[in-house]
Amino acid sequence: MPVVVGAIVVLLALAAFFVLAARRRGHPSDDIDSFRRQIDALSPEARRQTSERMKPSDGRSTDDDGANGT
Amino acid sequence: MMVPMARDLAIDLGTANTLVYMKGRGIVLNEPSVIALNRQTGEVLATGREAWQMIGRTPGYIVAVRPLRGGAITDFEITERMIRLLLQRVGVSRFTRPKVVICVPSAITEVERRAVTDAARRAGAADANLIEQPMAAAIGADLPIDEPVGNMVIDIGGGTSETAVISLGGIVALEAVRVGSFDIDAAIQNYVRREHGIAIGERTAEEIKVAIGSADPTPDENQAEVRGRDLMTGLPKTVILTPEEVRYAIEDVVSSIVASVIRCLSKAPPELSQDFLVRGMYLVGGGGLLRGLAERIERETEVPVKMSNVPLEAVVLGAGHVIEHYEALKGMFMGARR
Ligand SMILES: Nc1ncnc2c1ncn2[C@@H]1O[C@H](COP(=O)(O)OP(=O)(O)O)[C@@H](O)[C@H]1O
Ligand SMILES: [Mg+2]
Repeated sequence: MPVVVGAIVVLLALAAFFVLAARRRGHPSDDIDSFRRQIDALSPEARRQTSERMKPSDGRSTDDDGANGT
Repeated sequence: MMVPMARDLAIDLGTANTLVYMKGRGIVLNEPSVIALNRQTGEVLATGREAWQMIGRTPGYIVAVRPLRGGAITDFEITERMIRLLLQRVGVSRFTRPKVVICVPSAITEVERRAVTDAARRAGAADANLIEQPMAAAIGADLPIDEPVGNMVIDIGGGTSETAVISLGGIVALEAVRVGSFDIDAAIQNYVRREHGIAIGERTAEEIKVAIGSADPTPDENQAEVRGRDLMTGLPKTVILTPEEVRYAIEDVVSSIVASVIRCLSKAPPELSQDFLVRGMYLVGGGGLLRGLAERIERETEVPVKMSNVPLEAVVLGAGHVIEHYEALKGMFMGARR
């Protein structure tokens, strides 16, 4: 029994180590992701949503109002 | 009890006009950046349109000022009070803590930037960040700044003119000068005083600019009747002003604005400058509405100039887009990467 518990502890420690290592190495790809997200948020499709919200100028947009949290 | 949550805000703190965009709503406030104070007690008597109507018409104890006039913060305390009042009016308090994105002239200093964000936080903002005005203008004018192409935007405001080249969501070249449409008003005031011997106020000068001012000869030009105070007799007097005279009066200001656009063009990397020939440059800001200005810039740079269809709102709409996509776009805040 103690052998099994020991093995589990060692495995957990190894797993934690790999997760941390992967995180550290994963940094550049995080940067790539956030750059992609930024560029996507500036795309014409993303901007169309903002400008569509502008059209009903009295502020009574039918569908997406309120969906954005109050 | 539920605490009411204010919606996040985007603010265009312009030298002439202040606009506020509320997340999920659109533009909720649009008024002159003017504040009227009691000179003796320092009390705020009015803001916005009401204060604007007082310019040049106040008794001695009231002063109506534009705190951001020259694209710089001349009085931190007044600016802070203006920001507080502005946020209060759109429903911000210590209990509703929205995120706020503010556009300021790019020429303002580090200290001035901190003053603006601190004022917004003290007024109740949970977080306050700044973005460059030309960047917001480019987003609001719908330029394809997500692509690796040269996008050029010229924003001519009251106290500042900013030209920027933007590609892939970042500023490649920027030229900001503290010269703008207010200087055109001042040039008209000076000219009328010098050549016709009458004194006019800045609001009258602005009316003349909008009515008959131009940067290049245009078809169907009209004269204007101008009423002011005769400097010799002190009595009210009317004179006639021709469009040629106004063009002559404002020439120095116009040419320094055009020169700043040319300086920005010359800072752009060659790969991007060829894009301008095809895509053109986009003109935004109230000052850009001056008759013949787009034609004049086009003639001197040989690059096509296009007028944005939302010249006065482009900046706040761009900042509004950033507030709508806050998480994805927070890397664009001033100082985020540096
Ligand atoms: N039709 C017009 N012709 C010339 N100038 C104009 C016109 N409309 C507005 N302006 C000028 O534009 C300036 C305001 O532009 P704006 O973009 O709101 O400035 P800012 O962004 O600095 O607050 C004012 O000086 C105003 O006189
Ligand atoms: Mg502006």
